[in-house]
Amino acid sequence: MIEIAASTAVVYQRIIIDIAMYFGLFVIVAMALNFQYGNAGVPNMGCAVSASIGGYTVSAIITRIIYYVGTNANIGMKPYATDFDWNYNNQFNTYLMNDYIAEHALFGMSMFLFSIALGFLMGWLMGYVISLPAIRLRATYLIITLITMADAAQILGRNVVWISGGTLGMWVPNVFKWYPGDRTIIMAVATMLIGIICYFILRTMLNSPYGRLMRGVRENDLTVQSVGKDVTAIRRNVLMFASGITAVVGVLIGYYYSYVIQSNFIRATWTYWPWLMLMIGGAGNNAGTFIGCALIIAMRRIIIVYKWSLEQYIWYPIVIFESQLLATLLLVVMIFRPDGLIPEKLLRIPGIDYKRLVHEEAEVDWRIERTDPSERGGLLSRIKGGGKKKEEAE
Amino acid sequence: MIIPVIWMSAIVYASMITLLSIGFTLTHMTAKIPNFAHGTYAGFGVYVSFIAVRYFDMSPYFGFPASFLLGGLIGILLYKIVVSTLRRMGGGAIVLTISTIAIQIFMAQFQHIFAFWTRETYGLMSYGFLLKKNDFKFEVLGQSFQGIFPVSFGLVIAIVVLLRWMLTGTKFGIAMKAAAEDPELSQILGINIDKIQVASWFMTGGMACLAGALLPMWFMGSPGAGARLLISCMAGSLLGGLGDIYGAVIGGFAIGLIEIIFTAQGMKVFGLWVGEYRPLIPMIATIGILLIEPGGVTGWYSRWRVGGGYERLMARLGRSKEE
Repeated sequence: MIEIAASTAVVYQRIIIDIAMYFGLFVIVAMALNFQYGNAGVPNMGCAVSASIGGYTVSAIITRIIYYVGTNANIGMKPYATDFDWNYNNQFNTYLMNDYIAEHALFGMSMFLFSIALGFLMGWLMGYVISLPAIRLRATYLIITLITMADAAQILGRNVVWISGGTLGMWVPNVFKWYPGDRTIIMAVATMLIGIICYFILRTMLNSPYGRLMRGVRENDLTVQSVGKDVTAIRRNVLMFASGITAVVGVLIGYYYSYVIQSNFIRATWTYWPWLMLMIGGAGNNAGTFIGCALIIAMRRIIIVYKWSLEQYIWYPIVIFESQLLATLLLVVMIFRPDGLIPEKLLRIPGIDYKRLVHEEAEVDWRIERTDPSERGGLLSRIKGGGKKKEEAE
Repeated sequence: MIIPVIWMSAIVYASMITLLSIGFTLTHMTAKIPNFAHGTYAGFGVYVSFIAVRYFDMSPYFGFPASFLLGGLIGILLYKIVVSTLRRMGGGAIVLTISTIAIQIFMAQFQHIFAFWTRETYGLMSYGFLLKKNDFKFEVLGQSFQGIFPVSFGLVIAIVVLLRWMLTGTKFGIAMKAAAEDPELSQILGINIDKIQVASWFMTGGMACLAGALLPMWFMGSPGAGARLLISCMAGSLLGGLGDIYGAVIGGFAIGLIEIIFTAQGMKVFGLWVGEYRPLIPMIATIGILLIEPGGVTGWYSRWRVGGGYERLMARLGRSKEE
C-alpha cells in the first residue's frame, strides 16, 4: 500500500511539475505575443520560427562550445567535426560532458545563462530577418510570410544535420547536472523565474512612453505617422524584441527535454496555442494572458496524462479529439466573447489620472465598434440581429 | 517520347495549384481575408476520390461532381457558421484570419478520423494511397498517357473560360466584381452581399475540393496531403497579386511548374539532396515576390500600363512594321 501511495505521489508530483513547466514556457510566449498583437497590433504568426531558433542555438552553438571545453579538458571525447560524428557520437559525448558538468557547477550555470543571452540575441536577429519581406505591407502579407517561414525553419532543421542532428535530433548536455535532486524541478523553477523577469520587463515597457506609442500604432498608424514617428520601425522593433523573448523559450525547452529536434517546434504548438491563449484570455492585458495560458495548459496536460481513461469513451485517437476540442474552443470564444475573458485595461502613467482623462474629458473610444452593454441584448439576439439593431436605432 | 514524364507531372501539379490559387484569390477578393483552410478543403477531395474507387469500385472521375458539391457545401457551412457570424459580431480581418486557422485544424481532424475509421473497419490503406492504376490510359504517337494529364489541364482551361464568361458576361458576375470592389456602394445599388458571399464561398470550396480530387491520381494521398498544398497555393496567389483571377491563373501555374521542374533539374545537376528542399521553392518565391513587387504580376502589369509601357511597345511594333 505504501509503495502504491508513494508511486501515486510521484505521479502527481510529475503532473504538477509538468504543468508548471509548460505554464512557465507558454506564458512567456503568450506574453510576448500579447506584447506584439495586443499592444502594437503586429499579428505575429511566426512564433514557431523564434522558438525553433532558440532550440537550434542550444544544439548548434552551445553544445559545440561545451564540447570544445570538454575536448580541451581531456576527458576522452570522441570526434564531432563531421556530420556523421556529430550525429552518432553525440550521445557518448553528451554523457561525458554531463559528468564534467556535475563536477563544475559554475561552468554549467554560466553556460545556461550564456545560452539564454545568446538565444535572445539570435531570436532578435531572426526577428529582423523574418520582418524584412512584409513588415511594410498589409497584415495579410505579414501573416502569410510568417506562416511560410515557420515551415522553412523546420525544413532547414530537418535537412541540415549540423544544426540539430537532422531527423534524428540532438542530445544536449544537462547544464543542471550538479543539482543533486530532480532535474525537472530546478528547470521548472528557472523557467518560472525567467517568466517573472519577462513579465516585469514587458510591463515596464508597456507603461513607458514607448508602450503608449505602441498602442497608438495599433489604434491608428496614420495619426502616429503624421506626428513624425516611424511606424514601420516601431513594428519591426516590437517584432524583434518579442522574437528574442520567444527564442529564450526555445532555449528552455531544449534544456527541459535535454533534446532538440525540429519536430518539437511545429507550427500548431508554437503558433496556434499561444494565439488560442491570447484570444481566450483577452488581448491587451497580461492577466488575461495568464488565465488563458493556465486554462489551455491544464486542459492539454490533463488530456495527455489521462489519455488511457479517456480513450475508452472516444473511438478515435485522442490526439485528434484534443485538436478538435482546442479549435472549437477558439471559435466559440471568438464568437461569444470577442474581447476574451478579461477585457483590455488602460495603461498606467505615473502622475497622471489616465482613466479620468480618457473617460471624462477626452472621450476617446479605445475599441472600434464597442457597443453599449444595454443595447446588446441576449446572446442569440446578438448573433441573429447584431447588424439590424444599429439600423433601427438610426 | 513526345512529352517527358516530369513535364506531365509538373502540369498536373500546376493545374492543381492553379485551381487552388483561383479560389484563394477569389476568397481574398470578396471576403478580404486569406483563407488558411483553403488547402484543407482539398483534403476532402482526396478522400472523395478514395471513396469512389475503393468503396464503389468506380473510376475516380465519377467522384468529381460529388467532390465539387461537397467542397461547395463545406464552404457555405464555413461562411454561414463562422465567417458571417464573426463578422456580424464585429470581428476584424485579423480575427477572421485566425478563425480560418482554427477551422483548418478542426477540419483536418475529420480527414484523420475518416482515414482511421476506414483502416480500422475495412482494413483499407487509407493513410497513404495512390489511385494511378484506376486511371484510364491512352496512346498518342506511340506514347502512353495517363488520363489525368489531359483531364487536369482541360479542367483548368474549362474553369478559367467558365469564370471569364461568368465574371464578364452575366449579371451575377458583374455584381460579384462590384461587391469585391466596394461592398457598401454595391449594397446601395441593390446587390445582396450575403448571396454573393455564399456563392463565392461555394465556388472556391468546390474548386479547391476538385483540385484535391485530382491529387491521388498522380501524387500520394494522405490526411495531410491537402494542407501541404497551402504554401504553394499562397505563393501562386501572391505571384498573381491577390486581387485578380487571371493573375492567379498565371501565378498558380507558374509556381506549380517551377516547383516540380526546378526540383527535378536541381536533383539532376546538384544531386538528390535537392529533393528535400522542394517545399522551400514556393517559400522563396513568396519572399522574393514581396521584396521585389508586392503587387505580383497584376501590380507589375498595371504599373507597366500606367507608365506608358503599352504605348511604347505598340510604337516599337508599329515602327518595325513601317520599316
